[in-house]
Amino acid sequence: MSANRWLATGNFFSTYQEEQRIFFTHSDRTIFSIFLVLIFVWPILFPLSNKYMLVIDNTLIAIIAIIGLNLLTGFAGLISIGHAAFVGIGAYTIASFCTLIGEDHMLITHAWPLLILISGGVGAFFGAIVGLPAMRLKHLYLAIATLSFQMIFIWTIQFMDFFNQGQTISVGRVYWIFGKVSRDQHYLFWYYAILVFIVVLGFMVRNLLRTKYGRCLTAVRDNDRAADAMGMHPGFTKVYAFGLAGFMAGIAGALHAYLYRGVGFESFTLNESITYLAMAIVGGLGTLPGSFLGPAAIKALDLLVEYFAANVASLMPSSQDVATGLRPLVFGLVIVLFLMFEPRGIANWWRIVRSYFKLWPFRY
Amino acid sequence: MTYFFQLVVSGIVVGSIYALSALGFVLIYKSSRVLNIAHGQIIAAGAFITYALTVWAGIPIYISFVLSMIITFFLAMSVERIFLRRLIGEPIISVIMVTIGLMSILDGLIYLTPFGAENFSFPKFLPNTPILFGGVSISWTQLVGVIITILMIIGFSWFFKKSTMGISMRAVSDDQLASMSVGISVPKVFGLAWATAGLSAAAAGTILGNITGLNFDTLHAFGIIVFPVVILGGLDSVLGAVVAGIIMGLIQQFAKGYLDGNFGLYGTGQVLPYIILLVILLFKPHGLFGIHEIERV
Repeated sequence: MSANRWLATGNFFSTYQEEQRIFFTHSDRTIFSIFLVLIFVWPILFPLSNKYMLVIDNTLIAIIAIIGLNLLTGFAGLISIGHAAFVGIGAYTIASFCTLIGEDHMLITHAWPLLILISGGVGAFFGAIVGLPAMRLKHLYLAIATLSFQMIFIWTIQFMDFFNQGQTISVGRVYWIFGKVSRDQHYLFWYYAILVFIVVLGFMVRNLLRTKYGRCLTAVRDNDRAADAMGMHPGFTKVYAFGLAGFMAGIAGALHAYLYRGVGFESFTLNESITYLAMAIVGGLGTLPGSFLGPAAIKALDLLVEYFAANVASLMPSSQDVATGLRPLVFGLVIVLFLMFEPRGIANWWRIVRSYFKLWPFRY
Repeated sequence: MTYFFQLVVSGIVVGSIYALSALGFVLIYKSSRVLNIAHGQIIAAGAFITYALTVWAGIPIYISFVLSMIITFFLAMSVERIFLRRLIGEPIISVIMVTIGLMSILDGLIYLTPFGAENFSFPKFLPNTPILFGGVSISWTQLVGVIITILMIIGFSWFFKKSTMGISMRAVSDDQLASMSVGISVPKVFGLAWATAGLSAAAAGTILGNITGLNFDTLHAFGIIVFPVVILGGLDSVLGAVVAGIIMGLIQQFAKGYLDGNFGLYGTGQVLPYIILLVILLFKPHGLFGIHEIERV
């Protein structure tokens, strides 16, 4: 039976190859292409002020980090309470280059895509080191290993003079083919740069997840003994998952360093790690769309919390900023409520909406 | 040599508080296999409740200490009842993430109270003059703290060895199905484990608060150091928690005393436990006294 390649109301796969396709129908591909064009075009049609552009850039960076965390926690089933530290490794790789060769060196301003990839590599290396106990242990212990990595990272940054003891290390402005990226263009430029990274990495991960090297993660998560019997090495697979997560986090961190034109320790604390975890959980663990929806949802929530905190600040007895207390409270509640009532996250709502339109008008 | 013994004394003081707080952590892990990431926040909450009762409500500290333990007992029990009871049977990974969420919630709640930002110290109720043993000094607060800690640890071990409730808790940690079949209510035991952990956490928090003063960041850092302690002792061993707590206290004090300021290092006491944790996870993952049941993967 030749399936309709434009409208498919069900699954008519007859080969595994068909099942592993990225786009099931032509309409999926068309809609996705239009969407891709739209996200590249809208900033030119409706220019936003730098303030909002920064929020959007931040969300995009978080998406890269969450793709990594989702590979680790969602697909490989290993909790990481130290993801912000991995992001920090990426950022501090850029910062180390700046300290070593000067922040306006050619390498930093012109060869920044290369440096970002190098940061990813460094992140992957540290990720694999933290993942090493996985050779002997199950996931419970790994959560503690990542937590202790977080503590060691923060201590190292605050201790070493090389890292300016956690004070800001500035990063130079980058050059593009049009010359130096100016102050007004900075956030717009990085919007496109980060977007390109997301699209490339997104396709990479989507492809990875349908090959042997991605499916082994899920296999080890679901049953490591069965995976062992199938010829995978569960320990190596877990270390590899940590490496992948570290790579994504490293790239996110390097982009963060370039976007803010500086690196300080306060963006990589334990609270940030928990925020990342909240993003992954809210988005939906073990789903790729979740890695995109989660950061967007949490960043939107963050804006709401800040707005709310600014309004109630006068009513609270606390002498400090209400947002510092409200933020962990809200994020913690979001984590707990999603785990209790919607463990599959927003990605599940997305799936329901999609299948509604896919099956329309034959809903049952 | 006096310096050495001074460090030993302060190490034992700090270590015994570590032991007490690690005890609660191990209790929860032993009975329900849940890593309670929020344990440090419960410790902080216990300390702050004692302070609020003592200073703001004007209750004598002996009574407010006991009251705080009772309040935290029920607080932890209700946490278990509200958040964790309905997750029984869910994958353990989501239960652990719920405790991470709980940690964040409690953090937020504490930040919203005055305790989040300011430093407080308990009113002095013991003599100010330290006791001297041939040059080694120990303050009355420390001495009383250690004595209370030791008494509580003895009390807990009596509870597990002799009382029916304690024996049923050990039974559940051994085999849940078998203990269900002899009529032990497993959810009730989980609740009790959390409640007992809350009680010991409040005691640890109050004693620590009396010795070092109340600062949320300090208590927070203290709560996270429980992890290296329990990993060193073996996650499911009460004896291990006590021994490892004292070892960790000694290591920390020696690091502070001998490493800080000597090789251009400082703050080593804060980071050494975590380095030890990573090394132990790599080479001796079941800790000193843990059961060798960890599966190699």
